[in-house]
Formats: sequence, structure tokens, C-alpha cells
Amino acid sequence: MSLPSQVGLSLARRGGLERVTGACLFGVDLAQPGDLHLFALRAGSGPARIQRLDLAAARAYPGVVAVFTAADIPGINRVGIIAKVKDQPILAEGQTRYPGDAVALIAAESLTAARAAARLARLELEPLPAVSDPRQALLPGAPKVGEAGNLLWEARVRKGDPDGALARAAVVVTNTYTTSKAEHAAIEPEGGRAWWQDGLVVVRASTQNPHHDRHDLARLLGLPEEGVRVIQAETGGGFGGKLDLGLQGFLALAAWHLKRPVVMTYTREESLAATAKRHGLVMEYTSAADEQGRLLLCQAEIFGDSGVYASYGPAVCVRAAVHASGPYRVPHVEAHSRLVYTNNAWCGAMRGFGVPQVALAHEGQMDELAQRLGLDPLEMRIINALRPGDETATGQRLGRSAGLVQCLEALRPHYGQWRREAARSEGQYLRGVGLGAMFYGIGNTAMSNPASARLEMDAEGRLCLFTGAAELGQGSDTVLCQIAAETLGWPAQDVRLVRGDTARTLNAGATSASRQTFISGNAVQLAAQGLRGLLLEQAAALLGAPPQDIALDHGGARAAGKGLPLADLLRGLQERGVVVQAVGDYDPPTTPLDPASGQGVPYPTYAFAAQAALVEVDADSGLTRVPQVAAAHDVGRAMNPRAVEAQIKGGVVMGLGYALMEEYTPRCSNLHQYHIPTIADAPRIVPIIVESDDEAGPFGAKGVGEPALIPTAPAVAGGLAQALGRRLFDQPFSLERIMAALMEGRKTERQKDEAGS
Amino acid sequence: MRLRFSLNGQAMDLADMDGSQSLLSLLRGLGFTGSKEGCGVGECGACTVLLDGLSVDSCLLPAAKAQGRAVRTVEGLAQGESLHPLQEAFLEAGAVQCGYCTPGMLMSATALLERHPRPGDAEITEALEGNLCRCTGYQDIIEAVRLAAAKPERKP
Ligand code: FES
Ligand code: FES
Repeated sequence: MSLPSQVGLSLARRGGLERVTGACLFGVDLAQPGDLHLFALRAGSGPARIQRLDLAAARAYPGVVAVFTAADIPGINRVGIIAKVKDQPILAEGQTRYPGDAVALIAAESLTAARAAARLARLELEPLPAVSDPRQALLPGAPKVGEAGNLLWEARVRKGDPDGALARAAVVVTNTYTTSKAEHAAIEPEGGRAWWQDGLVVVRASTQNPHHDRHDLARLLGLPEEGVRVIQAETGGGFGGKLDLGLQGFLALAAWHLKRPVVMTYTREESLAATAKRHGLVMEYTSAADEQGRLLLCQAEIFGDSGVYASYGPAVCVRAAVHASGPYRVPHVEAHSRLVYTNNAWCGAMRGFGVPQVALAHEGQMDELAQRLGLDPLEMRIINALRPGDETATGQRLGRSAGLVQCLEALRPHYGQWRREAARSEGQYLRGVGLGAMFYGIGNTAMSNPASARLEMDAEGRLCLFTGAAELGQGSDTVLCQIAAETLGWPAQDVRLVRGDTARTLNAGATSASRQTFISGNAVQLAAQGLRGLLLEQAAALLGAPPQDIALDHGGARAAGKGLPLADLLRGLQERGVVVQAVGDYDPPTTPLDPASGQGVPYPTYAFAAQAALVEVDADSGLTRVPQVAAAHDVGRAMNPRAVEAQIKGGVVMGLGYALMEEYTPRCSNLHQYHIPTIADAPRIVPIIVESDDEAGPFGAKGVGEPALIPTAPAVAGGLAQALGRRLFDQPFSLERIMAALMEGRKTERQKDEAGS
Repeated sequence: MRLRFSLNGQAMDLADMDGSQSLLSLLRGLGFTGSKEGCGVGECGACTVLLDGLSVDSCLLPAAKAQGRAVRTVEGLAQGESLHPLQEAFLEAGAVQCGYCTPGMLMSATALLERHPRPGDAEITEALEGNLCRCTGYQDIIEAVRLAAAKPERKP
């Protein structure tokens, strides 16, 4: 009996049971009796020179076991994901750059003691000149924040003849869009535990990237990588916020010095004050089209604030430039993107890496061009959508998996119905329907970003997958096991899993850039093919049939009427001393981008998506609701449709929060100041899966984690523009901004009335 | 102080307790780590437990307030191997992603269903408004509560 295909099967999420019973231990749940508790003393102001840091009273406080400063770091006190700009000290050296910098780390028998001791530290800071405006940070004489100057990164994409195109255009629109800094706000704050075992520092913490953590921790401690073991704790959401290494550094440092188990958890306040944010960008766009609505030109000048550290800034900078012209055929493109150091809160990776920001701009431009041309925004997008075989702004030729037109077409019934409803709206409620479309390159931009995976089968035929890919709730555990199972012909439920442990699993790279389904998925598929090859070879020898004629699954092998139980097959291999295991390595094919023109092949493939949102504004109060969203996503192939839909629904609501309310300022000390959507804000979401069978994806799959969120804010922006009769260019579209637009609208109407009377 | 209360139906009698700590920190210190902290200020609901059947933010409640009362946490929902209908429904509806908000969601939903065995969507929304989830977009959580409400009642 052979298994039905498990591709496209909505298998239940792995790890669900322990999550509903409360048994699941997250990074913040690992404390055991006798553990030491860590607390970081943060500067509270900055930039400043540390005049005096007197820790004697803190050290003497009952229960305090040790207090560490930068001087106690044996290796290199600089961490950061981008190898070229590791610029973040985990403990300040002589100066602080902003208030969130830690100056000392206290280890005590209880958290209460550690906190009390922190209050006894005498920290004297002498303010240094600060720069908070990124434009000013580039002026000569500006306070130097970056160690090599304040321009952190710069990227360009140039294609065709932008100047010539402008001269030939029928319509040209120029606008400036701005976006806020946003907070990941995973409901689990950062947390973990570390200990010393068999000569190793072992760190178990919430993380999106265990192998990179090991690399930076070893560097920090001056150890070889083998001296550190990182285990991913069950992680309560990440969204990019658990890619940076802060807490893990404190844990490792204390465990290495003290040779005792230590635990640490960030409070929400600390998580808001001291971890990365989404980059706020200023985007000046000029876009042009011909009379038929065909795009001719996209010119984008993108400028952003990285804050005090680089984190993933270079990746965001490049990705923003590469995606600046959106998922469209644009013959002439000129995008220039820069990120600058300032003394503000630092920014890093957050779900989408710069693409949610540029999508607000390129989609705003589409709407404005459509309006000028008298075209329907949906038709305008369909006319211009990238299709299979088209060339992107970087000159990459798309393969067959480019389903934007299907996504847009799938929205049509919802879009049409809501438009008709909105047109009939009168009285107090102003309604509008907006669209957002996007493409998103899968994996890291224009660089090698491999993943490996290993599969092992024991004498009883039990299959175990070893993967370094961090599970954050998005479902990679489930999907990777499905890929292994399907390739081998085993039931997915029977696959055991060892995940995210640098001592037991191979490097899968970061869970970011929507890359694990595609990249780890390919590695898992290759490992499974390797294992299958071993089994087939043995079956061929025993059955006397060529491997290609053998049917093989978890029951055993069959060929030409003869059957061989799995147990016999495995026993045969065992007798020959063959370990039934295989490793798969996959590195997506990319090329570096030309530094001047940005031309090249930055990604193996792209996800495409389009969403429509119905927006409703109360004309009196300005209160805005988004009752309905339709979200169509080309995911290549949905390995697990329910998991894909779950990603879409979660992404839409995060995108809605980004659109309407999310803006981090240093005043946001907790979740009563930094608002994220509640259940009352959640729209009714219709997820629509479009499949386009990617040539290189495992079973045709691409990725969906970040694409889920990207089109939502642009769709809300378009709906608002229609409801209000004017576009808002500054995200978030907060109550104040919507009220201001309503007032403006009334003023204009009054003036019209007066002029008419 | 000496603290006596019932925890998931079991009598607790704890000597020398710091009654000023939050109920959340007391519970977690006792090893009941199913209740989570997401904010510590009553905004996220990850710490929701039931106090005499009402859902409360245990991060805000001084432990002393549990004196003589019945506290229920996510660990007390299942009866042995058999899951509570809400737990089953959360799994069936795919309402669990990272799962960090799940214990709090389950407790708020339990309080709701014990009051309103057949809640409408408005009541579900109202009951869960204090519970933040950053992963699911809430739709599957609403679906799970509907599903649980439609299940035959569990025999105590
Ligand atoms: S931890 Fe209690 S409400 Fe957030
Ligand atoms: S499932 Fe992650 S916060 Fe709700």
C-alpha cells in the first residue's frame, strides 16, 4: 500500500499539544532552582562618555555573585549579523551611544537582588553631542556614530534610460512617502538559560539563528566555535526581532565566567528599549507611464535611519533598492538607497526587510498614476504585472513561477463587490477599497546563503530529521518533515525531529527572508533523496532489479512481483555496516549585484501577492476599521495549505497594525504605548492560495512568511485614499492623521461651496 | 505570609510566601510556567488565569489576593489524557502558532464558555480583547472558540 501524496496536505502543526497544555517550555521558562539571575544595567541616556562606573556597592549587595563590564569580555566585544559591520558591543566601552546600551551585567541569586544591586551602581555620564536627524548625520562635522563614518550603506539599481523615459511619458507623478519605526512585539520577550557542561558554554535561548549565535558568541568569548553550543529554545514568535544577539551574549558571558547555570529574561520595557526596530524610511518617488497605462519609469530615492547600530541594515538597504519598482515591468529604473547612523534606537530586520516600506511607495504611485489616467487600479496593476519570462529591475529573467496576474484576478470578485458597496456608502461612514501588490525575493540578497539538513533511519525504520532551521511558530518543523516524508515515501507523522541545536544539527542559516521552506526545504529534499538512494541500492541488490524499477516506501520495496519488507532491507544495510543517513546541502543560485547598476540575479525566485482591503472611516470621529481583506498569494506550491493560510492571516493583521497604529518612539515603554492590533481590530480575511510550481522549489514551493504582511498596508492606504478623497503619505495612518485629512477635506468643500454660492 | 488557596482543584498551603509578589510570579515559581508574562502591566493577557471562575491578569494581582480562593491555570484544563474541548478546538482550528499567547487565550475563553456556553462572535471578541496574539491574526482563534462551543459538553 502506498501513501497518498502528502504535498498539499494540511497536517496538524507539530508541537501543538504541548502548547495547549502549557507544558511547552519557551526561552523565558527555563529557570531552575539554584540558577543565577542576570540583569543588565542600561545607560538610560546617551550618547555619553562614561565618567565613572562604580560597582563596589552593587558587588557587595547580598546575593550578588558577580558584576561584569566590557573589561570582562575575553574575546571581541562586537556582534552583528553582517560580517562587514559587526559594530555592536554587548557592554559599553567607555561611552554609550544611546540610552538602551548596557554598561554592566549583574549576576545574583535572585532577580530581586540583581535589580536592587543595579540601583546601587554609581554611573556618571557626560553627555556627548548627539545626532538624531539622519540628514544631519551626513553633514560634515556631524557627531560620528558609526565607527567608520555615518553612512552605513548605499545601494543602487539602474536600468534602461531613466532620463529619456521621463521625456516620453504621458503622466508623471512625484511623491514622498515616509514610514515609522516599528516594533516586532513578539508576545514572548527575549529569554534563555546558559550553563557550563563538559568544557562547553551551552546557551539555550529564543532565537531565529542558532548557528550564527554560536559564531558570534565564540568570537565574544575568544573561543573556537566548538567551544559553544547553542540550542534554540521554543520561541514565542520572532518576526526578525530574535535575529540579533543581545541576551545570548549576556548568558554566555556569565556562564563562561561563573561555570554555573544562569537565566535571563528581558522585560517588555527592556525589549522595547534595547532591541532592534523596523527602519523608518523616507522615499521620494517619481513614476511615469504612457497613455495605455504601461509603466515607463520608476525613480526612487530611499533614505533611512539605522540608529546606533548596523544590525541587518545593509540587507534592508539593498533589498529596498532591488524591490523599489515593485512587482511590475518597468523598463527604466533608477533606485538609490542609503542608511545612516544616528543616535536613535537601532533598526534591524523585521518581517519584510525594507519591502513593506517601499511597497507603500510603489503602490501609492500605482494608484496615483491610475487615477491620472482614468484607469481602474486593478487593471493598471494587471497591465504592468511581472509575468513568467519577464525581466526584473535587476535584469533577472523570471521563470514560470510568477503568479501575480493570477493573484490579482483572484481578488477581482471581492474587489468588485466591495467597490460597489463602497460607492453606495453615504452618511457617516466613508468607505474605500484599496489594493496592494508585491514581489519578494526568497532568501538573502545576492549572496551565498546555504542550508544543510541530515536524515537518519534507525534499525526499526524510524526516520529522524536533523535541521538547524529555527521554528518560531510559522510551521517550518511541520513543513520540513512533510518534505522529508513525501520524498521518501514515509508518513510525515512518523518523522521524528531534532531541531536547532548546533551540537546535533547542521547549519540551516537564519529563519528570515522567507527562506526556510525553499532553502532548507531543498536541503531536506536532497537528504531524503540521498537516503532513498541508499535504500534503493540495497533493495536492488536483494531483489535483483534495477533501482529505477523498484517501488519503495515505509512498508518496504517491491519489484517485478517480489516484495521485501523494510526490516529486511535495513538489516541488510546494517550487516554491510552502512549507516542509513544522508546529508543534503543547498545554496540558492544567485549572483552578486553590479555595484553601480545593481544588475544581477539576487534571488533564486520571488513570491508574488496581492491583497484588497475594504476600509471604513467614521467621518465624525475619524475611527477607522478594516472589516474585510482578501489576500491572494503565489506560494509556488502550498506544502501545507492550512499553515500557508495561517501565515497569511497573521501577516495581514500585522500589516494592518503597521498601517493604522504602529510607531515606535522612545516614549513607548510598554504595550500600552506601543499598540498592536487586538482581536477587535482583526478583519475578516479571505486567504487565497495561488500555485505556480516553482522550478527550483521543493515540490514547487517558495515562501510566504514575509509576503503575508507586505501588501496589507498599501491596500489600506489605497482604501483610505478613496474614503477620504485624499492620500496619506505618512504611515502609520493614525487617528490624528486621518482626522487632519477629514478636516482638510471639509475645508476644501467649504471653499468650493463658497466659491459656488 | 501563609497562603492557602486551591490551584487547579488542589489545596495549596504555602508558608513564608511573599504575598506582595504577583500571582503570576508565585505560580511560575511553583513550576506552573504555563501562565506567561508578555508585558507585566495588564496589556497582553498572556498571564490570564481564572480566579473563582473569572479571568484575571495574574501579573497585576498580588499573590495575597488568592488567599482562600480558587485559581485555575492552563495546566488544569485537561483531565489526565483528555483535553478540554477548547484545547482540542484550538488544535483543530489551527489557532496555535508560536503558542505563547495560547494559555492566556484558553483561560479567557474558558471563562467565557463557562458563563456563555453558546457565545456569539461579539461575545467572543469581547472576552478575548485583552489577549494579544502577534502570530495568528485572531481569525483561527475565534473559529476555535466557536468550535469548542459547538462541541458536546464535557462530563465533569
Ligand atoms: S503579562 Fe499580564 S497582561 Fe501581559
Ligand atoms: S500564537 Fe504566537 S502570539 Fe499567539
